[in-house]
Amino acid sequence: MSPLNEALIITVVGMVTVFFILFLIIFVGNLLIRFCNKYLPEEVRVKKSDKSDDRAPQIHRAIEAAIDVFTKGKGKVTNIRKL
Amino acid sequence: MEEILSKLYNMTAFSGMSWQVVLMWVIAFILLYLGIKKEYEPLLLVPIAFGLLLANFPGGGMGIVPAENIVLEGERYKNLFEIANEYGIMNYLYYSLIKTGLLPPVIFMGVGALTDFGPMLRNLKLSLFGAAAQIGIFTVLIVSLLFGFTLKEAASLGIIGGADGPTAIYTTIKLAPHLLGPIAIAAYSYMALVPVIIPLVANMFMTKKEFKINMREMDKLYPPKYQIKNLRAVKIIFPIVLGSVTAIFVPSAVPLVGMLLFGNLVKEIGAATLRLSEAATGAILNTATIFLGLTVGATMTADVFLSPKTLGIVVGGFIAFAISIAGGILAVKIHNIFTKKKINPLVGATGLSAVPMASRVANEMALKYDPTNHILQYCMASNISGVIGSAVAAGVLISMLS
Repeated sequence: MSPLNEALIITVVGMVTVFFILFLIIFVGNLLIRFCNKYLPEEVRVKKSDKSDDRAPQIHRAIEAAIDVFTKGKGKVTNIRKL
Repeated sequence: MEEILSKLYNMTAFSGMSWQVVLMWVIAFILLYLGIKKEYEPLLLVPIAFGLLLANFPGGGMGIVPAENIVLEGERYKNLFEIANEYGIMNYLYYSLIKTGLLPPVIFMGVGALTDFGPMLRNLKLSLFGAAAQIGIFTVLIVSLLFGFTLKEAASLGIIGGADGPTAIYTTIKLAPHLLGPIAIAAYSYMALVPVIIPLVANMFMTKKEFKINMREMDKLYPPKYQIKNLRAVKIIFPIVLGSVTAIFVPSAVPLVGMLLFGNLVKEIGAATLRLSEAATGAILNTATIFLGLTVGATMTADVFLSPKTLGIVVGGFIAFAISIAGGILAVKIHNIFTKKKINPLVGATGLSAVPMASRVANEMALKYDPTNHILQYCMASNISGVIGSAVAAGVLISMLS
């Protein structure tokens, strides 16, 4: 077989293979997305209750005491906000 | 006294000087200038240029000797100690790291760990343009036969059109190792010139109306079929499945594609394999790049590089590159004839590899015509699939010709 004929055959085989593999990637990729959407949907993260809530009254009292000492009894806590 | 002076003269490099050697130094200086000052792919061009310089110091013993020098009777080869002893450390490095085909897959592993398949998974259909843009490889394979290249040399020349340095080097090592230097230089030079070549070809083949096709608006008009609910899971499973599929159909592409996907997998797993991913993209990739560059540069001794074939490689490489870009653009144009959802042909232009520079250039071009038309994500889809496409094309060439 002449080199030119061989090159033509390689061209056809090469391009068909490249297209085939990338078609396959599209097919497999779509399949994978559908599979994951159905069986592995993203875990919904449930926000855990803040444990510090249980200790809130103590924290409030500690802050109030600190403010009382710092302002020498003049200050008053009206609102506590987590920044 | 005269004898001492003669010995002194022979001890220096002056005794081996010729115009060819000086010309090679000039080429090395130009490449160093392009790498350092112009920042054309400096990570590779600087080591390649310096390897070239080292190889062309007469008496330095850093030039790579032809493979015939290390072949023994009975299809056996000299061992590495003999190679190091007879031809020096650069030949030791070349025959252990390059000739064995070790470094390109190692670099591919690092590239995989740096690659995000997310844009491709979100726009899977655009992967097809990564296939269309491989046409330059095969066109130049045919054309270069007419200019006196052998079939294996023509295939190595054509693979420059894949715009992927490690793939071009790997294919050339397997098919035409004597052309490794000029092909590596041409591949990396044209990759550095992507900001010039893509606009040049795109302006030749695209109309103003096509430049203005807004991909996001098209997505709003014709939304994709599936939304990915768990991208992380898809990204982890994808390299495993893709690697298996490619290995079954094109086993010869496995060294490149397999390592690319392994690198990607350790990146996507996250914290559990973070150390592996960091090693792949850090120390390993950098070390491999240094040795690849230096040894490839050292193959370019004056007697190998200064031949008409080098000129053919420079011209042929450019044509392969340009045809690949044009192939991607034309594939999109054909697609647009048959579908309502139009695609900006610049997405096709990025079907050749050169990740992510090709996508960035295409995005900037689209923004020039419409400041709201951000097409980077879409270009990355075809760009990344181009990496796989060129590795598959290399696999086909190697399996059919070696």
